[in-house]
Amino acid sequence: MRLSYQKRITLTAIIMVVALMLVMAALWMPHIQRDVKIMDALFVIDITDSMNVQDATVNGETVSRLDWAKEFTRRTFLDMPCGAHAGLAIFSEARSLILMNPVEVCNSYHDLTQMLNQFDPHMAWARSSEVSKAVYTAIRQAKEIEPEPTIVFVTDGHESPPLHESLFPKFDGKPGEIHGVIVGVGGEDLLPIPKTNEQGEIEGVWGVNDVMHQDVYASLRSDTTTNVPKARTEHLSSQKKSHLQTLADRVGFEYVSSPTKPGKLVDAIRKVSETRPQTIDYDLYAWFSAIALALILLVYLPYGWFIRTDD
Amino acid sequence: MLLWLMPLVLLPWFSHNTDKTVAWQAMLPHDRLSLVVTLLLKLLSSLLIASLLLALAGPHIPERIIERSRQGAEFVILLDRSRSMDDIFARPPRNTLPIEAFSTRSKRTVSGDYLLEFVKRRPDDRFGYILFSTRATEILPLSYNRDAILATIEAGALGKGLSKTDIFQALSKAAAMFEGEAYRGSRNILLISDGGVILNASEKAQLQQRLAEMRINLYWIYLRTVRGMTLDEQADDNLLWLEMPERKLHTFFKKLKTPYQAFEAGSLKEFAAAIEEIHRQQYQALIVEERLPKQSLADWFLAIALFSSLVLTLARLYTSWGVKLAAQADRF
Repeated sequence: MRLSYQKRITLTAIIMVVALMLVMAALWMPHIQRDVKIMDALFVIDITDSMNVQDATVNGETVSRLDWAKEFTRRTFLDMPCGAHAGLAIFSEARSLILMNPVEVCNSYHDLTQMLNQFDPHMAWARSSEVSKAVYTAIRQAKEIEPEPTIVFVTDGHESPPLHESLFPKFDGKPGEIHGVIVGVGGEDLLPIPKTNEQGEIEGVWGVNDVMHQDVYASLRSDTTTNVPKARTEHLSSQKKSHLQTLADRVGFEYVSSPTKPGKLVDAIRKVSETRPQTIDYDLYAWFSAIALALILLVYLPYGWFIRTDD
Repeated sequence: MLLWLMPLVLLPWFSHNTDKTVAWQAMLPHDRLSLVVTLLLKLLSSLLIASLLLALAGPHIPERIIERSRQGAEFVILLDRSRSMDDIFARPPRNTLPIEAFSTRSKRTVSGDYLLEFVKRRPDDRFGYILFSTRATEILPLSYNRDAILATIEAGALGKGLSKTDIFQALSKAAAMFEGEAYRGSRNILLISDGGVILNASEKAQLQQRLAEMRINLYWIYLRTVRGMTLDEQADDNLLWLEMPERKLHTFFKKLKTPYQAFEAGSLKEFAAAIEEIHRQQYQALIVEERLPKQSLADWFLAIALFSSLVLTLARLYTSWGVKLAAQADRF
């Protein structure tokens, strides 16, 4: 297509007028109100011994499950929309201990990460790891918080002492009453678990004879119908996917295994939570100035290099 | 990222979209003024593209921290998380008739409520929080963030207690929180517990030295467990009370070189009075840090863009008007 000189000049003038108007809009257009969906989440981090197993990856480096959990939680805070609330809790023994009730993520990001950095195996007050019961206590305590947060439970699902297939710890709440996501961490392979001492320092690994391989009920019976002999692998740990899925179904949670992108987890949290709308001011200046820029570049693109415009 | 597009500012210098090809160069009159004007317009268009790009890049002055002088103090809160704190606060002994109604709230929830009130009343203070049970962990380093400290105290009032407590560790951790910090104003440790421990000589020496080094005042709100027992010895003391760990701890605290004050809370009224007294005492000059939110500079660049696009648009309109006139003149 070839435009006459006069048409080109007129077209350029029109485009410039439009661009000028866009720049004016970018500068003086009032902010518009937009609703975002925000949620309250309570992150419960497993700090039991099995979380020290080094089989998670952060930026291509192999790190312990706990380090992965901390780093992933931090990134999730960053991906949560401002206005959303996040709280922190730790899990050891058979209960979740809430350390900070949900606070607004953007304003309190610094304090949240400071607290998160302190999470360490030495905070554990006992050396057992009863995941199911800890999920139940988290649910019980979440009910006391106003508004009720969605629980994000980061764990590898390793139960110590082990559970009996038919004697699952009793859940006395209603499934789905408190919403939640269980985030599974850890690899597929069974790996030895570093052992922490009373001071929380790592001292070797748990040996095959250090841990219970049968649940408490069965181990006290002598008949082999209850106390069925089985492989003694409870001193090793991997991500217990089927157990976590069962647990999630029991309490009405979602289960996400080893998520790679924090954004995905935020989406999962948003999906299960009862979100509240929050109005935020939204400045459209970026859109206006981007369009103006595009128009101006259109004027100056060197068309002459591609088509001949001589006349 | 957007700044990679910066070379686009050179576009106006290569573009000849609106040039008129003239058959013979010599036909054009030499005009210095129009040369300057052309140059200026090209410069302006470069400036326009550059400023729009910069505005889009989201320029801002980052969040800044400034220091101001205010009234207040710095507190590290040590709230006992042991199981005994789950007991009902100020419960009358079982062998007395319940003449007055008493509340059935646990020591932990009562302490939590008073702490919340205390923090809310002191807008400029800096607070830190130590979780102390079997091991002490500073879960909230000294912070001005109201929401964070209030949420931490609220969380401390939830759920059941943990096993035992280690006051020595908690106090050393609390003192360590001030390490490497400039002295901004009164530093305090607020210990709320219902029991004591017996410290050994080296622990005592360490604590005494640490508290003195860091210039920390110690407040202890003692939630009385045994009715009638006081921290200080009395003439008509029960023989069983003489060796109570609480008393031993109190005697040691009194020997500290740093200021120490104990409050014995056996009722809600006494607890409130203790909090009120600490609030009254700790009102001194304090240097606080204030956070200035980040400021966007996009508007400045947009203003430059506005100016240059205004000039350019006028120039374009003028040109198109001139060309139109010329075209009309041609027709006749």
